[in-house]
Amino acid sequence: MRRLPVNLLIGGVLVALVVAAAMLSVIWTPHPYAAMDIPNKFAPPSPAHWLGTDQLGRDLVSQLMVAAGNSMMVALLAVSIGAVLGTILGMVAAARGGWTEEAIMRLSDLGFAFPTLLFAIMLAAAFGPSLTVVVVAIAFINIPTFARVARAAARQVWHRDYVYAARAAGMNRFAISRDHILPNIAAPVIVQATIEFAVAILTEAALSYLGLGAQPPAPSWGRMLSEAQTLMYLAPQLAIWPGLCIFIAVLGFGLLGDGLRDLSDPRLGQRRSHD
Amino acid sequence: MIDLTDIHVDGPAGPLLRKTSLSLAAGERVGIVGESGSGKTLLALSMMGMVSDQLTVGGAISVEGRDMTNAVEADWRHLRARRLSMVFQEPMSALNPLRRVGDTVAAPLIRHQGYTREQARARALSLFEETGITDPERRLSQYPHQLSGGQRQRVLIALALACDPALLIADEPTSALDAEVALRITDLLVRLSRERNMALLFISHDLAAVSRTTERIIVMYGGDIMETGPTRAIMQAPHHPYTKGLLAARPKLWAPILSTHGKRRLPTIPGSVPPPQDLPRGCRFAGRCPVEMAHCATERPALIHTATGTAACHRQTADGAGGQS
Repeated sequence: MRRLPVNLLIGGVLVALVVAAAMLSVIWTPHPYAAMDIPNKFAPPSPAHWLGTDQLGRDLVSQLMVAAGNSMMVALLAVSIGAVLGTILGMVAAARGGWTEEAIMRLSDLGFAFPTLLFAIMLAAAFGPSLTVVVVAIAFINIPTFARVARAAARQVWHRDYVYAARAAGMNRFAISRDHILPNIAAPVIVQATIEFAVAILTEAALSYLGLGAQPPAPSWGRMLSEAQTLMYLAPQLAIWPGLCIFIAVLGFGLLGDGLRDLSDPRLGQRRSHD
Repeated sequence: MIDLTDIHVDGPAGPLLRKTSLSLAAGERVGIVGESGSGKTLLALSMMGMVSDQLTVGGAISVEGRDMTNAVEADWRHLRARRLSMVFQEPMSALNPLRRVGDTVAAPLIRHQGYTREQARARALSLFEETGITDPERRLSQYPHQLSGGQRQRVLIALALACDPALLIADEPTSALDAEVALRITDLLVRLSRERNMALLFISHDLAAVSRTTERIIVMYGGDIMETGPTRAIMQAPHHPYTKGLLAARPKLWAPILSTHGKRRLPTIPGSVPPPQDLPRGCRFAGRCPVEMAHCATERPALIHTATGTAACHRQTADGAGGQS
């Protein structure tokens, strides 16, 4: 058995840490995350409050954990929607070719032209800021990315011998796409999804920092960061901890995505050399 | 059952398959022989309606009396689902590595014959038995990498038989296999063709395999038909200089022992196939032909009748003896 890539291992551990904290927050946090304790504000780390409390005496660990859950949920929803729609569009483009492919790919070029933040601001202006707006914005921006990845991979698979064999057996394009194309483009799509997951976490943090995402009292790393900004000289740890969380989550998913790519690429190389 | 009239395929750089006419009767076994790039596969793909969109196909084609000349993809798919089938060269890459082979064979049955999952599985099992797959029950749920090359080719033949085709095109089905396995596969194809009264178009560059399999041979070179005729007649008395060259280049079992003057090299046809755009305008074989005449490179010879079949050679018209030298 080949050794696992180092980036996959480190990424996996970091992601496991964040996901575990997020899942635990659903059933248990050290304190209720929104419980205020004004006399005890800016408390230093102690056995009761592991990372201390914020300007309203709320427990920092509990907030960070719930924020991790929110962040994961937003990223998961947004990337899933983007990946499913984008992959379907990319597969349709590769299967039909001609003007359909041209139309889908030019539309996705158009999608690439929208900066995510600008698009989210536009949505927030129209519908009011919320996590739903963040999900929709990130999902929308992800569609063209996945359409491109899926189309490029699918076009290659369409020239494989087993697709010719399936066509010779009279299978139509839908059946071939479902049975042969999709399983064989899953690897690059999954790698892309992991990387986009990291980007989505960062985008959610940025939008919440700008006040377009999670609304109080729902905790979010981005919003915690922006609230801590004014208190930087008084209590720098309030900015450091959510910043560190964003860093760990983004780095973790980034490394995991890279590691998955390393894992799937050499294997593709091996398969090629056998041909 | 299938008639091609003046079929030709043109690529962006020029013609890839010259005007070719060809008919197969029901249950007939025909071989196409030729080097790589001689247009064998292209001819087969045009019979399946599967020539790439980047190439243009001209001429008339009809399948079982149905004119397919201007057919759209859906019409072709209808035929491929019921009457036409094809087995490809590379059994290693012609099966989806991520699908159980039983599912691959069952898919067209479910889609075209309206079988349920269980019926399709039972039918796939009987197809596996018919194609001589060992331990067929277990093979159904195996993945391609668990099967040997010969077994995979049998799976592909089972897939091709799933729709009870009237014509099976086998495009170099044995090239990627060991000699002994190849022999078994060719025998299997002949047996299936006989038992099912299924026409077989056997494409190969292996003369021995073709002569074993077919009743009639078409020799192709450079996207053109050189010679046609009954298999036995072609193997014994070829008329075209290209066919003669091919036959002379076969290894002979006793030659090294019987040869009196030391080492003997295997005869070859001098030169190699030029790329499609550099092929001569006249006879495609001009430039490599041992009995070439002055006008061979510029004038395309017509297919004319010989004693047993047809041949496209100016020598045929010149001295009626097919370039005896």
